[in-house]
Amino acid sequence: MNNILLSNINVAKLFTVIGIVAVIAIILAALIVLVSKLCFVKEDEKVKEVSERLAGANCGGCGYAGCADYAKALAEGKADLGACGATSNEAKEEIAKILGIPFSATEQTFAVVKCAGGINAKDKFDYVGNKGCDARISYMGGNKICPEGCLGDGTCVAVCSENGIKVINGVAVVNSIMCKSCGACVVKCPKKLIELIPKKAKVFVACSTKCRGKDVMTACSVGCIGCGLCAKNCPENAITMVDNLAVIDYSKCTGCKTCVDKCPRKIIREL
Amino acid sequence: MAEFLMIIVSAMFINNFVVVQFLGICPFLGVSKDFKSALGMGLAVTFVMTLTCLITYPIYTFILVPLEIEFMEIIVFIFVIASIVQMIEMALKKFSPTLYNAMGIYLPLITTNCAVLGVAELVIDSEQIASLIGITASGMNMGFAVLYGLFAGLGFTLAIVVMSGLREKVARLPIAKSLKGFPIAMITACFIAMAFYVFALI
Repeated sequence: MNNILLSNINVAKLFTVIGIVAVIAIILAALIVLVSKLCFVKEDEKVKEVSERLAGANCGGCGYAGCADYAKALAEGKADLGACGATSNEAKEEIAKILGIPFSATEQTFAVVKCAGGINAKDKFDYVGNKGCDARISYMGGNKICPEGCLGDGTCVAVCSENGIKVINGVAVVNSIMCKSCGACVVKCPKKLIELIPKKAKVFVACSTKCRGKDVMTACSVGCIGCGLCAKNCPENAITMVDNLAVIDYSKCTGCKTCVDKCPRKIIREL
Repeated sequence: MAEFLMIIVSAMFINNFVVVQFLGICPFLGVSKDFKSALGMGLAVTFVMTLTCLITYPIYTFILVPLEIEFMEIIVFIFVIASIVQMIEMALKKFSPTLYNAMGIYLPLITTNCAVLGVAELVIDSEQIASLIGITASGMNMGFAVLYGLFAGLGFTLAIVVMSGLREKVARLPIAKSLKGFPIAMITACFIAMAFYVFALI
């Protein structure tokens, strides 16, 4: 009477339960140990060390899924150390030492949007549809007449981990102070308008069009018409005309800003 | 032959584990953001469900029932499921690193997935399963159990893949701010469940 619960226990059954559960547990444990022995995979120490020294921004600017994936590719010798823009040069030197590969310090860069169109560039049609540049470009290559014009729907804004990009007057603009040069927007932009340029650069060409001057005149009030005045007047011959578009060689550019004054369309801009 | 058809229809549609029986809701909502990972999760669950039925059904019928300790089923099943998932994970790491990377995060999640324990519990309940697939309780055997596990897993895959497709579409639509993200996912899940409810009328 003083111990109803205990008196109900069938001792023989109790032992069966304990025995069966113990046997099953031992069999499973043995199987797990066996499988783990059979399937032992050696983890690469290098990957761990490299990923510790990477910036850890997980921005995807290198073209890999994240820093862990990039570290693995580095350790296997598949990736290039220069592809990462977020890691500092000191950390990169350490990584190069771990991997035993040569490394030369890359120049500090930042992103610029090579388009000034937006509300200055004419539309082909009124776009009504899903948000995002990817969605826009799937309808006849976007709603701008200019095939290289910024669609201004903020795909780069969404991907920037520093909130350094804003869409102003229909065109994306990078804040050069906030830019960490990860390159995520460069990869994401469907029109490939964003480029990494050296931090010491004083001017950049805010247009990417390869169309002839006459077509540009009708499509956009701020497009490069390929007149070549900047190339002719540059004292260092740092500007060349490629496919109707001025291209600046930053290794030669001294930042005299002659081109800024000469450009009739005012698309070579100061930074 | 009729039994096989009944198993397929019953496990995948009429008694779909996610949207009709509401088991395994956690991965259904958590891993359905994009199509690829949803498919990976679904296939991983299918694999584990089939193996679980293959192992738990004989353990129950040939060990627990003769010894009259059926009440130990949940503890034993959890042992078995956890060990299977562990072993599969290690084997995948060794033999297929690509597949391991694809569903590496989701595999350990399956250990605590109630849909897997649910199917193990269901197939041993011979009266209930017999009524579901239209056979007599004594006619239940291991083949039916394993098949039921396989098609229950495929039903899970079907539901999670449909869900991921809808969520990918919904994410692009202009939705009120208060409904963005998880709330609209719940509403989407509700509509899928209502759609599947039609099968109950068969």
